[in-house]
Amino acid sequence: MEKRSGSEMKAISVRQGWLWLGRGLGGLLLLGLYLVIERGGNAYLQRLSVLFLINLMLVVSLNLFTGFTGVFSLGHIGFMALGAYTSAILTLPVTAKAANLPDLPAPLASVALPFLPALLLGGLFAALVAGLIGIPILRLSGHFVAVATLGFLIITRVVLINAEAFTRGTRTFAGVPPYTTLSWAALWAALNVYIAWRLKHSTLGLQILAARDDPWGAQGVGVAIGRVRLIAFGISAFFTGVAGGLWAHFLTAFSPNAFYFSKTFEIIVMMIVGGMGSITGSIVGTLLVMSVTELLRNLEPGVTVGTFSIGPLYGLSQIGLAVLLIFLTAFRRQGLLGDREFRLEALIERTEDWIREFRVPWKASSVREADPFMRR
Amino acid sequence: MRPLRWFGVLFLILILAAAACAPGAAPTAAPTGPAAPASPTAAPATPAGGAPIRIGAPFNLTGGMASIDVPAANGARLAAEEINAAGGVLGRPIELLIRDTKTDPATAATVVTQLIEQDKVVAVIGFNDSDYVLAAGPICQRAGVPFITVGATSPRLPGQVGDMLFLAPFGDNVQAAVGAEFAFEKFGKTAYLLWDKGAEYTTVLAKYFKERFTELGGTIVLEDTYQSGDKDFSAQIAKVKALPQQPAFYYISALPDDVGTIVKQFRNAGINGPIVGGDGYDTPLLLQVAGPAAENVFFTTHSLLTADSPNERVRKFVAAYKQKYGTEPEAVFAALGYDTVYVLAEAIRRAGSTDGQAIKKALESIRDFPAVTGVINYSPQSHIPQKGVTVIEVKGGKFTLAAERVPQKVPAP
Repeated sequence: MEKRSGSEMKAISVRQGWLWLGRGLGGLLLLGLYLVIERGGNAYLQRLSVLFLINLMLVVSLNLFTGFTGVFSLGHIGFMALGAYTSAILTLPVTAKAANLPDLPAPLASVALPFLPALLLGGLFAALVAGLIGIPILRLSGHFVAVATLGFLIITRVVLINAEAFTRGTRTFAGVPPYTTLSWAALWAALNVYIAWRLKHSTLGLQILAARDDPWGAQGVGVAIGRVRLIAFGISAFFTGVAGGLWAHFLTAFSPNAFYFSKTFEIIVMMIVGGMGSITGSIVGTLLVMSVTELLRNLEPGVTVGTFSIGPLYGLSQIGLAVLLIFLTAFRRQGLLGDREFRLEALIERTEDWIREFRVPWKASSVREADPFMRR
Repeated sequence: MRPLRWFGVLFLILILAAAACAPGAAPTAAPTGPAAPASPTAAPATPAGGAPIRIGAPFNLTGGMASIDVPAANGARLAAEEINAAGGVLGRPIELLIRDTKTDPATAATVVTQLIEQDKVVAVIGFNDSDYVLAAGPICQRAGVPFITVGATSPRLPGQVGDMLFLAPFGDNVQAAVGAEFAFEKFGKTAYLLWDKGAEYTTVLAKYFKERFTELGGTIVLEDTYQSGDKDFSAQIAKVKALPQQPAFYYISALPDDVGTIVKQFRNAGINGPIVGGDGYDTPLLLQVAGPAAENVFFTTHSLLTADSPNERVRKFVAAYKQKYGTEPEAVFAALGYDTVYVLAEAIRRAGSTDGQAIKKALESIRDFPAVTGVINYSPQSHIPQKGVTVIEVKGGKFTLAAERVPQKVPAP
């Protein structure tokens, strides 16, 4: 730190400028990417982008609870299911309701809400359920929460299968209007990431993190662990429910089988790859897992390089993902970013160091650490 | 040390990103322009000197559906190769783009979008379950690409998806009606009904069976349910044993994975009456798991695939399949996949073009088309073929033909 004590004031002002420039460039880049995908007319790329954004919401929301509180939840896909079914029942056109859900109770049978209120109600319903089950579940700790939330996932599935008047039971719930567009997904994902980020760096977030790292100490300074965890659980469930609603209006047909173990583990893998507790890590993890899967899936039908060709290799993407996970657990167990964040400030600081010393910063710092006489 | 690792990670991501861009263009002959017009029209493929006719074939080659989707894909591939060996369609070869959708509806939708947008397929065939058809169907419908499902038997599908969807098999209402009529005549007026609540197919099949059976004047003495994947049926069996009088037969609507276990446990409990079921029983698992207990089991299905079948088309198909894959068809869905490609090729031939609407019109004009799984008829009103249903009896450790019939009356979808 003392090395730039002489020009502290100047350094900060320069950094602020860089910071805004970086933010502006990043924003422009995202906006440009959005416009290229939105206007590009490549429906395949658009579908992948929407799926990415929905998965991102699921991963960030799960991370918002599991990563921040250190309590593992295996039941989040249950909230996704609640959000999906609630919003789909609300937006389904009245004629389709008469045909597909003849036993729907009167007030629901005669309404077809627009997209936004249906999404919000889906999210709120998920949050309400989270609040109710959270009170008993969050009194537990450690692995017991994982088991209890797993129980919630199984109960949700059984309820969905048996509430035939609302869900058609195991039969496919079809005919949902395809409201989810890239813009909707981008808007919600941005909101989700923003809120998670603000939460992590707020007083409440610090309390949650403190309760994770040292429950006794946190309690000692007056953190109501149960209450802050419940708030995180509720916010997390809300966004998971909204993501479920977006997913339902994206795919337009689904059954309770969609919201079970395979989806649960898909999301958990993305979270683990990125790093538990890191929001930027969630973005990296989701992007990496989805691009590996999609890339390998495209190779599955077989590749021809010149005269050399490899036949069809179905299942390659699952194998590739497994290999990635094995390497990750062997060499970087905390995930790519651990629980740290990728911060613009840190990047700029490094760049400034580099500019100042005309040297590659990591080399310089390692030399400096190794030999204290090399400082000047 | 730490920064070095960081750069390792960054490097990995860069490689992946670079690689991700490459394969998109590699299998496609025509790279998609970055500023392509926004309107996604089905490309009117130019017949430039025998360019292949591309047909999308998404199947769940891995995951829970693989045991029946892999044979279906194999059957489809066999048909495409035979057609190409015989000179193709409209003087052009057929290129079947088989893709794995991993038993995941979201992947199914993505894959079908990619097939239509990037690979410019003129038609899509595939899937043996309605979940995936309902995820992928609306995309084909919007793009105006005809879609024939190989094995999904829900008779409500065309109503749910639209006029671009066709079924290669009969509907569940047809096979349930045949099951009810056959058992009513052969075994009697009382039945026990057990179905799997965990799947749409089994639920719907049981519903149609009950409707037709009670209409005939039969009585369901006891109804019960279970969940797919259950391993212990002693609770259901105890209720059957507690009946004052055993019914004439037992109709059990089950998925391929559970069939063997159920039959075996019923027989071990001393219930030896006839067990009747649907095409979910058409799996090697029935004989493998239940063994001798599978005797006196009857089920409705699409065709009886044996090398000594009296039907010449079946014999030819079984021989060709065995020659190519080294095994007899694992499931009847192999024959359905085979038939689907042939019926689609016939439609393209009749249409004389690869335009989606023209193919759809040609499909609707197909009458009395001879296929391995029966005679296929389509019409503008009905995109579900009115095919005969095969009833199979397990006798002497083998599938034998019990009856081939059409239902007298079919429950409304």
